[in-house]
Amino acid sequence: MATDITQTITRIAGIIIDELKLEDVTPETFDADLDLVDEVGIDSMDLATIALVLRDEYGIRIDEDDYPKLTTVRIIAEYIGTKLSEKE
Amino acid sequence: MKTVSSLLDDHWYDRYKKISRLNIRSSIYDVTDRCNLRCKGCFFFSSGEHERAAEEKDVNKWHSFVEKEMDRGVNLAILIGGEPTLCMDRIEAFYKRLPTFCATNGLIKVPRDRFPDMMVGLSLWGDEEDEITLRGKDTFKITSANYEGDPHAYYLYTITPKQLGKTEKIIQKIRNVGLKVHMQLLSNDEDVNGFSWKPEELIAIRAEMDAMLDAYPDTVVSSKYYHEVITTGVMLGRKFGWNECPSVTIMRDNREPQPKRLTNFVRWASDLETVHRCCTSETRDCSTCKDGAAHMSWVMVNKRAHIATPKDLQNWIEVYEMFAKLYQFIPW
Repeated sequence: MATDITQTITRIAGIIIDELKLEDVTPETFDADLDLVDEVGIDSMDLATIALVLRDEYGIRIDEDDYPKLTTVRIIAEYIGTKLSEKE
Repeated sequence: MKTVSSLLDDHWYDRYKKISRLNIRSSIYDVTDRCNLRCKGCFFFSSGEHERAAEEKDVNKWHSFVEKEMDRGVNLAILIGGEPTLCMDRIEAFYKRLPTFCATNGLIKVPRDRFPDMMVGLSLWGDEEDEITLRGKDTFKITSANYEGDPHAYYLYTITPKQLGKTEKIIQKIRNVGLKVHMQLLSNDEDVNGFSWKPEELIAIRAEMDAMLDAYPDTVVSSKYYHEVITTGVMLGRKFGWNECPSVTIMRDNREPQPKRLTNFVRWASDLETVHRCCTSETRDCSTCKDGAAHMSWVMVNKRAHIATPKDLQNWIEVYEMFAKLYQFIPW
């Protein structure tokens, strides 16, 4: 399970880095607990874009009402884990 | 990786955090096709938008429409027209449900017992001479009497090239009636002689707007970066125009690649079915558009592009704060 979430965190970090064209950071060095709004500066439009990629990647739908809760990569990974387990 | 806190000191970081989660989602609504003025340069009439749709007269339909807009995620209604105050019942349909801003010529006073804290933007097109030339009458006497000292009203001062060297007199008049002012530039949609901006005039008016902000910080709600962007049409080396504008109605937005834009923004006509292309006239040349809200929004939606240097990010914060103040998301 720990490996799963670590892999998910790395993958989400990679998606965010690609979508936002972040420089000087890799999926492995991205701080999973960094606040995405207060520190990375993403906005709801960015999050909507990322949510679409995550939907295609994991086959889950991220409810727009949940966006404000998704404040770090770790929280997004846990959210995805919960959604996937609900599907099983 | 550059983070927000790595670029800002504590003071600026606190300011950033006060606005970073506001998530403002606005749309614009034509409340009516009618107006009690006919101003030269008013895009609504010059472009024929007042004839595009027959206004919905059943107020119950306005109420249910607003409910649907809220379901779409709208959390700020910007009411324009025509003249919205000709239809108070329609304004109320918005005001009862969500933060509402009403742009008006101010000739009809919004009753404060009915709309106690609705933000009202009073259009003003210059001094007495300009007002008479462009609008047929000097509205300031009436509007200042209607709204003197009102904490939920401010002037939307549309500056024309003929106002160069005269803006201070206007700002002082506004300050003396206890109101605030936000400055924007005339786009001269009807090509009124002498009211189109020349490059040297834009340089001069930028300096004058900066000077007014420095001299009257308690009256002028603005930012120098906004002055730069609106007078040059350039932000971070990018030129404003159709390919960059954030305020295009989502159903009419087929641009590729898709620029950063206002989430789900729509400008609705008063039949509640027709949509207009953007926040201003469909006939306007986007490359010379001077719309203040569009330029403000352009900065706001491009936050990540401003996470480059401390100055860039501070500029972004000041523009976002200005917008948030003008629509009452944060105090003056």
